[in-house]
Amino acid sequence: MNGYGGSILRVNLTTGQITKQPTPPELGRDFIGGRGFGVYFLFKEVPKGADPLGPENKLIISSGPFSGMLIPGAGKCDWTTKSPLTGGYADASMGGHFTAEMKYAGIDTIILEGASPKPVYLFIDDQKIQLVDASPLWGKGALAVEKELKDRYGEEYQIAAIGPGGENLVLYACINHDYGRQAGRGGVGAVMGSKKVKAIVLHGTRSVPVVDLKGYRKAGMALYLACKESEGLAEWTRYGTTIVTNWCDEVGALPTRNFSAGSFEGGPNIYGQTMRKEIVITDKGCFGCPSPCGKYSSMKRYNTMVEGPEYETIGMIGSNLGIADIQAVAEANRLCDDLGIDTISAGGCIAWAMECYAKGILTRVDTDGLELKFGNIEATFEAIHKIAHREGKLGNLLAEGTKRAANKIGQGSEKFAIQVKGMEQSAYATHNATAMLLAYMTCDVGAHHNRSWAITYDLQVGRDKVVPEKVARIIWLQNFRPMFDVLGSCRLQWVELGIDRDLYLPALEAITGIHRTWEDLEAVGDRIWNLTRLFWARENEGFGREWDLPSPRFYEEPPQTGATAGQITTFQDVQRLLDMYYEQRGWDNNGLPTPTTLEKLGITAIAV
Amino acid sequence: MNVMSAILKPYGILKTYIDGEKEKAVEAGRTVRQMMVDLGIPPEIVALVLVNDEPKPKDYILQDGDIVKLLAVIGGG
Repeated sequence: MNGYGGSILRVNLTTGQITKQPTPPELGRDFIGGRGFGVYFLFKEVPKGADPLGPENKLIISSGPFSGMLIPGAGKCDWTTKSPLTGGYADASMGGHFTAEMKYAGIDTIILEGASPKPVYLFIDDQKIQLVDASPLWGKGALAVEKELKDRYGEEYQIAAIGPGGENLVLYACINHDYGRQAGRGGVGAVMGSKKVKAIVLHGTRSVPVVDLKGYRKAGMALYLACKESEGLAEWTRYGTTIVTNWCDEVGALPTRNFSAGSFEGGPNIYGQTMRKEIVITDKGCFGCPSPCGKYSSMKRYNTMVEGPEYETIGMIGSNLGIADIQAVAEANRLCDDLGIDTISAGGCIAWAMECYAKGILTRVDTDGLELKFGNIEATFEAIHKIAHREGKLGNLLAEGTKRAANKIGQGSEKFAIQVKGMEQSAYATHNATAMLLAYMTCDVGAHHNRSWAITYDLQVGRDKVVPEKVARIIWLQNFRPMFDVLGSCRLQWVELGIDRDLYLPALEAITGIHRTWEDLEAVGDRIWNLTRLFWARENEGFGREWDLPSPRFYEEPPQTGATAGQITTFQDVQRLLDMYYEQRGWDNNGLPTPTTLEKLGITAIAV
Repeated sequence: MNVMSAILKPYGILKTYIDGEKEKAVEAGRTVRQMMVDLGIPPEIVALVLVNDEPKPKDYILQDGDIVKLLAVIGGG
């Protein structure tokens, strides 16, 4: 198959059996790759009602036709599973160099199934594939394990590893790669830990067949040239995603003290400019990236280094915890990476606990002696350790995520558990930004910004307006943006540099030999979106409209300070957003795809 | 009397506010925010102001000969 590694690798960890089968051409035709392959295998192979942390669940790792090719940012790899955090669909996109080596080893998808009786790592070197005893690595940090395995095999081997968080089944454990890239959200690291897989080591040397080599080179060069000529290239490279921190603060989108406000009085201490000046050493990009958004930082106070922090971590562990100290945020980032937990959910969980502490719902007895006040840096570090090791009352409570923790503690704390479908909301406050609020409400993994992002659009249209155009914009983004996770390249060249998306089409055609328009690709995106919705409904009895509601904080509690002081979306408008969204999606009033919609999308047969 | 002026270079979609042009001479002696308002650019959609390639607040008062670049965040994270 042109543009593909050519095989699906299946690793049964219960039996130790490893098999390869050719990648079905019709799979490439209908689902293209990456997240598309992930949702297909998840839907078809994970049985209904499977325990996310049991052997029946699968961890599906997929590249796409752009992965490892001369396409800007073609280092993206998709990790799909049934989420232990949400009980629904999860996929996490990871940058770095893993996906390129995977493809050069001739593999499009790795399916990890079953569960190993003892710790192992999966070793892939072209045709040589084996499970290796990982007992000596168990208990070690993900960054330390990556270094140890690179020392053992060589720099050209790419490593993805879990830390203690994944081993201890923290429900938002992540997978680390390239010393600072993660498959971060939804607990993919816990699923890997439940299968006793500490790491994957891989290296490949094969070439990838393309249909039209000359056309591919020409189209690839056109994409790189567009990036190079982008007016925003210098600034996006200088600051990476942290470029938005001061602006989010200005417009009331910077999560502050558990999203009680959108502006932070200590904001300037954590702005991108401050970070660049105080701690950044150099820039770092993923495979084939012309606009490296990664930043290596040195925290002199702690005598440590980290790749990061990027905006989400600054928002969730900085302002959202009341921490106005960029070195402390970066150190917390390093701890989360090495211990293997998602910085967004960790920040959300600790912020919820800090609010509980401030309100007397949690006391020192519940926090194992920690004075869990907003702004307490040492308590934050200690809480991260406790979560990753599920240590004590606090660690065990927060390792479950805010939804479960709040249901357990009660006393009204459910109202300030800032999550949708069980996933902690990422770092955009949405008290008065209705399109962005809808984006979080309807995102197919929970409250994450990756599928659609619309803060500027809210500001342009009118942030409190609830109009069909906003809903249509979100649906378009949800169908279009995740296609980068299908194709296996980074969306930031389009998102940040603003390159013309049509430039990708000749490259895709030259590589695969299949002519596709963006309309065609968005139709695939729509099909995938509906399948993920069906997966949620299949796995969760009573799934429907109620699951799409945001945290009440965004319709009941206007911020007291900052740019959005006194502003809030009404509950009536929340419901109107859903009404319009379901209608435009072709879903019923409870938010489920109708038979007509499934028929139109051509997924009726898969959906049964 | 010479009028003090600066050069405005809006990036991406912000060009639409100056008829798609790459740059425009603007009057100095007023804030960047006021300049944006006068041109019909909603100040809140501008994420980064660079004056002579240095980040500046929107309340920075434009000086004669300044080169002002404006960047909006369209796609997000």
